[in-house]
Amino acid sequence: MKVVHYLNQFFGGVGGEEFADTPPNFLEGPVGPGNLLNQILPEGSQIVGTIVCGDNYAVENQQDIVSFVNAKVKEARADLFVAGPCFNAGRYGMSAGAVCEAVKSESDIPVVTAMSEENPGVDVYRGEVLIVDSGSSPANMRDVLVRIANLGAKLANDETVGPPSAEGYIPQGFLRTEFVEKTAAQRLAEMLMAKLKGESFEPEIPVTTFEPIPVPLMTTEIAKAKIALVTDGGLVPRSNPDNLPRAFSRVWGAYSIDERPKLLEEDFEVAHGGYDNAHVQQDPNRLVPVDVMREMERSGAIGSLHEEFLSTTGNSNPLENSRRIGREMAQRLKEAGVDAVILTST
Amino acid sequence: MAQVTPMTLVAETVGSNRIIRGRSIVHPLGDVDLAPEEEHELRRMLVQRALDALASEDRTTA
Amino acid sequence: MRLTLAVHSISQMDFGSKTQLEGTRLQIDVEELRRCILQDRRLQSVDLEIARPGESCRAGYVFDIIEPRAKEPGSGADFPGILGPVTPVGQGVTHVLRGAAVTVVDGGQPGGELGYESRRGGVSKILEMSGEAAKRSSYGDLQHLVMVPRAHPDIKRHAVLNALRVASCRAAVFLAQTALSQLPDSTLDFELEGPKSGNGNLPRVAYIGQIHGHQHGTESDEHILYGANTRGMMPTPLHPNEWMDGAVVISYSWGARGLETYFYQNHPIIGELYRLHQSGQANFVGAIATISSDQESEMKRNSMMGAQIAKWNLGADGVVLTKYAGGAPHTDMFETARQCEALGVKTVVLTSDTASDSRAESALLINTKEVNAIVSHSEGSDVRFQLPTVERIIAGNSEVADIMSGLSELTPAALCGIANNQGASRLQPIIY
Repeated sequence: MKVVHYLNQFFGGVGGEEFADTPPNFLEGPVGPGNLLNQILPEGSQIVGTIVCGDNYAVENQQDIVSFVNAKVKEARADLFVAGPCFNAGRYGMSAGAVCEAVKSESDIPVVTAMSEENPGVDVYRGEVLIVDSGSSPANMRDVLVRIANLGAKLANDETVGPPSAEGYIPQGFLRTEFVEKTAAQRLAEMLMAKLKGESFEPEIPVTTFEPIPVPLMTTEIAKAKIALVTDGGLVPRSNPDNLPRAFSRVWGAYSIDERPKLLEEDFEVAHGGYDNAHVQQDPNRLVPVDVMREMERSGAIGSLHEEFLSTTGNSNPLENSRRIGREMAQRLKEAGVDAVILTST
Repeated sequence: MAQVTPMTLVAETVGSNRIIRGRSIVHPLGDVDLAPEEEHELRRMLVQRALDALASEDRTTA
Repeated sequence: MRLTLAVHSISQMDFGSKTQLEGTRLQIDVEELRRCILQDRRLQSVDLEIARPGESCRAGYVFDIIEPRAKEPGSGADFPGILGPVTPVGQGVTHVLRGAAVTVVDGGQPGGELGYESRRGGVSKILEMSGEAAKRSSYGDLQHLVMVPRAHPDIKRHAVLNALRVASCRAAVFLAQTALSQLPDSTLDFELEGPKSGNGNLPRVAYIGQIHGHQHGTESDEHILYGANTRGMMPTPLHPNEWMDGAVVISYSWGARGLETYFYQNHPIIGELYRLHQSGQANFVGAIATISSDQESEMKRNSMMGAQIAKWNLGADGVVLTKYAGGAPHTDMFETARQCEALGVKTVVLTSDTASDSRAESALLINTKEVNAIVSHSEGSDVRFQLPTVERIIAGNSEVADIMSGLSELTPAALCGIANNQGASRLQPIIY
């Protein structure tokens, strides 16, 4: 197994924070913790090359670093790509996730990285990339590298990867139904008794907790307000210029309404794959009610309709995507002086 | 923000504060069984409810 | 109130010259059984077959599966409100033919709906007797008397369904009556003191189970609880013994997938709570039957009432909750659980997976942070059983027979006895 390794400026031995802008460099063989990893890898496998890149450079030049890494991976004819371990380093975790994802899809080889559960890279990349749980302390380095080596070998040999608890990686959030020894009734009784005794238990489906959101109050009256329309029904201009996907969207778009009295069928299409979009296609105002808003603008019921509507595909979207998209949309609308939003969802 | 959606329980679960019941998943602010003028009236009514919810200080599901 | 099950093991079932139980061999006089079933004049005929474990046989769509049971004279009525007068059950002696089952196949409406196609549509409730699916099914190792009652063409659909229900109970009793004169292989006692019971130190546990989902429709003559159709039903305290002894049967069709009367009689959760009680770990204080509503206001009212009964009438510290099939019943169950938690009653719920994308975050349709103890049987939507071509198809009509013989692959949700909503399922979602 030929392995290519990715490290940041610190673990790559270049230096500390002041070297975070270092552009990527490729070195033959293992570097830094790669040396230990090299020893742990199975017989016959070795790290053939290491890419070292500054954290800032990687985050600010993602396209560049991804191309660089993919080129080196292809040149080296690597069988496995490893990034990190990143522990708590957030920029490092984000870049490690990004290059792993890119290598996985463009070079089509197995990838594995490692970071602590709190690392922001986890929420963004866990679904695509196997992330070993490194915890926050580099004192765990050896143990982390052992798990990286194990998982890497399994992925490269197309062997079944066991559940997270067995293999030491962060759950990716996929549910696989399996037959188990105990009936649901037995599991229910056990869980109830544990809960009654105050003992810990794990729900079989994780419960996502939602913080209550304080009710924001209007600062102007509706008749003077600038109102924007936002939708998660995936309405986009024809040809879908921002490539909104059918589901699991990480992106959103802002689309001009100009002075239009309503949205026309010929100008729009629906990217969302989770509902029958024939009716909205026929009349997009059924999802984004520009026609009515325009009337209300004319009659003075509202101050004005914001000149663009924002759109994403709210289909089975991991919560982290939705949260980030929401924040970004809110930011754009605030900067545009919008007073309130009507969000339309399917 | 006021949210128009047919899936009110999901909206409540995630913490949406101002929720207006949309007509249907396939046409939240429309209704293909209505004549065009009636459908337009329905849309106006739903948008008005959304505006009223925005003006209100309380959490609403309408 | 004590219920004693006199359990007779069945290892063989055959048609023969006499209806009798000899040791573990059950012989059935098929004409005598036929006469018994055809007492119901709505039926013009009934097909009777036996399906044995491992046989290359597939039956569907299944109306219900019932364990043959008959109450000893003086112990109360068999299936009160269905076969006879409404009398309390859950006490005395009930004889059980263990290892046997009466499986009723819905023939649909002659010239009309294809059985369950009418109340929802789609392949559902298939009994598979061979292969991997049979191994994983709770029904795969039972001797089945498979019945296809056929109604006269002019009988309305709801009456046909009622006739199926009556026939299923009649057959179950008919078979089990052979055991009345025999010594059982074993006896099991079920006795609870109920809410008044002492044992102050032990945690008090109860069960809240949905017995129908009204969003699937309800016929006026549909028998569910002591023969009642449960329309407008509010949460009702029910002794666990009643649940197991013929007071409750499943409702019709699609809404009842993953449910059979067999697992009311052998209720996995009532069984577990009894085990906790009998082993001195907890005090099983009772059970509450409730429904899943099609209206939001009724759902909220029933959820509140169910929680109140659990808290104030049963004095429960903890409750296990189950739901009927489908997505909407989650709402009633989660809301009831939330109300329980608000009253200080701890809950654990049994859900079915609703994530078609197999992602953990999407798996819960509703969630509230207080309802944090969740067991799921997943419906196994990502599990596939490869089905062999079978030699014998038992179906209600030729169209369904064609559909069933053409099947090569099914998920657990379409099969009987695998993704069970009553707690028998061994499926579990594992988070990867």
